[in-house]
Amino acid sequence: MIREGKFGPAEAIVLLALSSLSRNFLSYPRLLVEIAGPAAWMTPFGGLVLVLVGIYLISLVLKKNPGHTIIETTEQAFGPFIGTAVNVLIVVSAFEMLGALFLREFSESMLTTTLRFAPISVIDFSFLAMGLLGAYLGIEALARTARLIYLYVLAGLFITFFSLIPFWNFYNLLPLFGKGLARDFLLGTYATAGISEVILAAVIVQAMGGVTYFTRIGYSSMLISFGILIMLLATLVLTYNWPVSEEFTLPFLRLSRTIYLGRFFQRPEAIFILIWTIIGALKISLMLYGAAVSLARSLKLPDYRPLIWPLGLAMFIIGLLPLDMPTTVNLDNIMRRVILIPNYLLPLLILAVYWLKGRRGRAGS
Amino acid sequence: MSILKKLLNIITYQENIKRESFILEETADDRQGGQKVGISSPEGKTAGEYDKPEATREQEEKTTACRRSFKKPVRPAHKAGDKSQKIKNSSSAEGRQRIQASIEDTGKSSVNDLSVSASLVENRETIKELYGLPDNKDIILRDIVIGTDPAIDGFIVYIDGLVDKPVQDLLIQALMLFATRPAPQDKGKLALYVKERLLPGNQVSVQSRFRDILDAVNYGDTALFLEGCAEAVLVETKGWEHRMVEKPVIEQILRGPQEAFGETLRTNTALVRKIIKNENLTTELLKVGARNRVNVAVMYLRDVANPALVAEVKRRIGSIKTDFIVDGGMLEEFIQDSPYNLNPTILATERPDRAAASIVEGRVVIIVDGSPFALIVPATMYEMMQTGEDVYSRWQLGTFIRYLRTMAFYLAFLAPGVYLAVVLFHHEMIPTELLLAIAGNRERVPFPSVVEVLLMEISFELIREAGLRIPGIMGTTIGIIGALVLGQAAVQANIVSPILVILVAITGLSSFAIPYFSLAFTLRIYRFFYIMLGTTMGFFGIAVGLFSQIVLTANLKSFGVPYLAPIGPRTVAGADVVTRLPVFFHKKRPDYLNPQDIKRQPDVSRGWAGPENGGKND
Repeated sequence: MIREGKFGPAEAIVLLALSSLSRNFLSYPRLLVEIAGPAAWMTPFGGLVLVLVGIYLISLVLKKNPGHTIIETTEQAFGPFIGTAVNVLIVVSAFEMLGALFLREFSESMLTTTLRFAPISVIDFSFLAMGLLGAYLGIEALARTARLIYLYVLAGLFITFFSLIPFWNFYNLLPLFGKGLARDFLLGTYATAGISEVILAAVIVQAMGGVTYFTRIGYSSMLISFGILIMLLATLVLTYNWPVSEEFTLPFLRLSRTIYLGRFFQRPEAIFILIWTIIGALKISLMLYGAAVSLARSLKLPDYRPLIWPLGLAMFIIGLLPLDMPTTVNLDNIMRRVILIPNYLLPLLILAVYWLKGRRGRAGS
Repeated sequence: MSILKKLLNIITYQENIKRESFILEETADDRQGGQKVGISSPEGKTAGEYDKPEATREQEEKTTACRRSFKKPVRPAHKAGDKSQKIKNSSSAEGRQRIQASIEDTGKSSVNDLSVSASLVENRETIKELYGLPDNKDIILRDIVIGTDPAIDGFIVYIDGLVDKPVQDLLIQALMLFATRPAPQDKGKLALYVKERLLPGNQVSVQSRFRDILDAVNYGDTALFLEGCAEAVLVETKGWEHRMVEKPVIEQILRGPQEAFGETLRTNTALVRKIIKNENLTTELLKVGARNRVNVAVMYLRDVANPALVAEVKRRIGSIKTDFIVDGGMLEEFIQDSPYNLNPTILATERPDRAAASIVEGRVVIIVDGSPFALIVPATMYEMMQTGEDVYSRWQLGTFIRYLRTMAFYLAFLAPGVYLAVVLFHHEMIPTELLLAIAGNRERVPFPSVVEVLLMEISFELIREAGLRIPGIMGTTIGIIGALVLGQAAVQANIVSPILVILVAITGLSSFAIPYFSLAFTLRIYRFFYIMLGTTMGFFGIAVGLFSQIVLTANLKSFGVPYLAPIGPRTVAGADVVTRLPVFFHKKRPDYLNPQDIKRQPDVSRGWAGPENGGKND
């Protein structure tokens, strides 16, 4: 029996929201500006709806097997062999790959931001060390950490947004529907719905208090996360127009560098490094934890912690494999599509299997 | 020729024939390798032996024996509870045989199972054996004859220096001069008769086990043995020299009670009881330490404290197996949840009012006899940032100083690290004028910034440590040295820049503003980690440190209560965490303590301000 600890809905909401916010600090907002131009801020709407649907689907799946997580439910639906294979190949691999890519992207962003002459391996290792520590101490400690830092993170974000008001130009939002409604919503949905927090929530559901709170936690955290993404995209386009925004490697860094509150308070972006790093470490810890716990549950191991070290090492190595930052970003875009499988396809398949089993059972009786 | 001989003597090996004055010989069982080296408990077992199966113990003994063949432990020949060793020193064959018989009967080398005999001679011999008389000079064994009709022979045992002489005299007077009643026929009930009829006042009890009698005598009581009675009378005659109740030394406040705990357990418990005049206040006594058998008081409110918490405290204290506990600090290390984490998870206070307030909230207070500090469990980090004065002063002031302390908390461990990060990695953050000023000041300093910071921080720590250790009469010296090292002289010598002097001063002030000294020490250690992290990786390093510190601290628990409650995890915060609302809003006890009675006061605690009384003060 894996001892995960327990935490309340408030902590769970903050944990998932902060985890989901991590992508905002990387080059991800640039991709959305590229897709929809001045209407970049509209792109998350479709994704938000899909994510909410995904959470609902997973809640239906989890209700089929109360007291268990998606890992056990998958196994119950597909049988021990196929179920374990699905868990390892889809869920564990997704966490592992996403963790590795985030590790690399955050390390690259630190190099770009502050430590220009440091070797990537040193930064990578520092992030990994934080991830290992967080994953080792467990989801309860991570949830409490999230609860302790969320106010600082939100304050930092809102200070950034509102400090840029003098630079806003509302004409930058025109044309209102950007490159076309189809691009805004179809491509936007495709690009924004691929988040790891949906499947992560299904893995840590028992620590969050069970399936009873699952939908509430999921909906609230995603509304916060997507709301902030929308605000960030709107601020980006309002401050710089969309063709310029497309050129930024790290749009949030660019925005924070723009802040000028008088002669004394200028260039405060270094302070945001604290927020980025802590959010990055939290995300990597969660991915490592998700991978280790999913694997331990799949293999029926009594404890997940022995798996942290090998999985962490694998994450470190995979993270160093991409040649450079653009390759990493491209891989991240691919992974964003891959994550749609455990988020949406897997619950649909499980529901279908349950439905078929139920039908066969009814026919038999 | 003789010179050549001398030279040859110098360079030639010769056996050392000079005898050493004293050699601590190995004991016989050491040479055989059959016994263990360790701490003996009252039962004669070593500390690690208790919970192990026999096979494991045998295996360990073999391992220890093998190890001993190349590593010689120096071990005293005399083990606590080892009766055979004590018997060796005995002059009485009778007493020796009796104690030996007891050991053989019970199979334990323990005084625990030794009972008082009906024979006065036997009891005298046993006492002599147990206390090592007549070598032990402060143990007084005095024969008396009780003046009843017929007269009863007896003797009293007490420890000189631990008893109150006037009380002692009264006791002897009562027995020898004023006891003129007829004695009972049944001598077995003599002790009870003396207790009920002959001894006025004091706490008097009757005991038949030598363990209880020794514990009482060692704690300042007087034991009375009577001819023909297999029981002893214990009379409370405690009265050793001790410090009076004085003002707090560490936790000083402007407004509020000015009493502090002392070294006497009974005085300390009385100080708490003086504040909480409630019959539900319970003081349980536990004994810890095989050698010094110190009393540990566990105080709580029976109708408020969570029974599971009380049971856990008693379980932890009761399970300690060590030879010596002299202060609460030692006990703290034995019972705290995460001894390897830097943060303290138990609150120590020298203020009875603080201990009492904690008990009323539903916590448990532990007081070790001889320690002027009470331990409060469970404790959260937020409580370590509070003082009694926050509540004794007006709420606005209380809130203000708490926020000031919060700022001091961050400055105390982050300021030097952040300074280094900014100066070495993030120049863009510093406004140009300030940057030029810093650069101008640093121009003549030959050291890198980190060396400069470390030099100042280490000097500051040295001055602080020396200031504590220096004899009072030389106290002013440290002030002069401090002013020289951390002041203008250092700047003029171009060793440090002026801005750094200010930085170190602010950091030092901040660490002094942390009310709980143990937490302040923790922050002092953290500070050096952050200096290293800020120097090597700038703000990224600081963030690495912060994340690690937060996640490690968030994982801590103090007796089952999360260390960062009520913020992480979120529980019902109440009106007294950082912001302190007026006391009439403190309606509930802390939720994370899960007390039996959560309510402190009704919603309308100011009856006079209620609408039914015509009050309109809200």
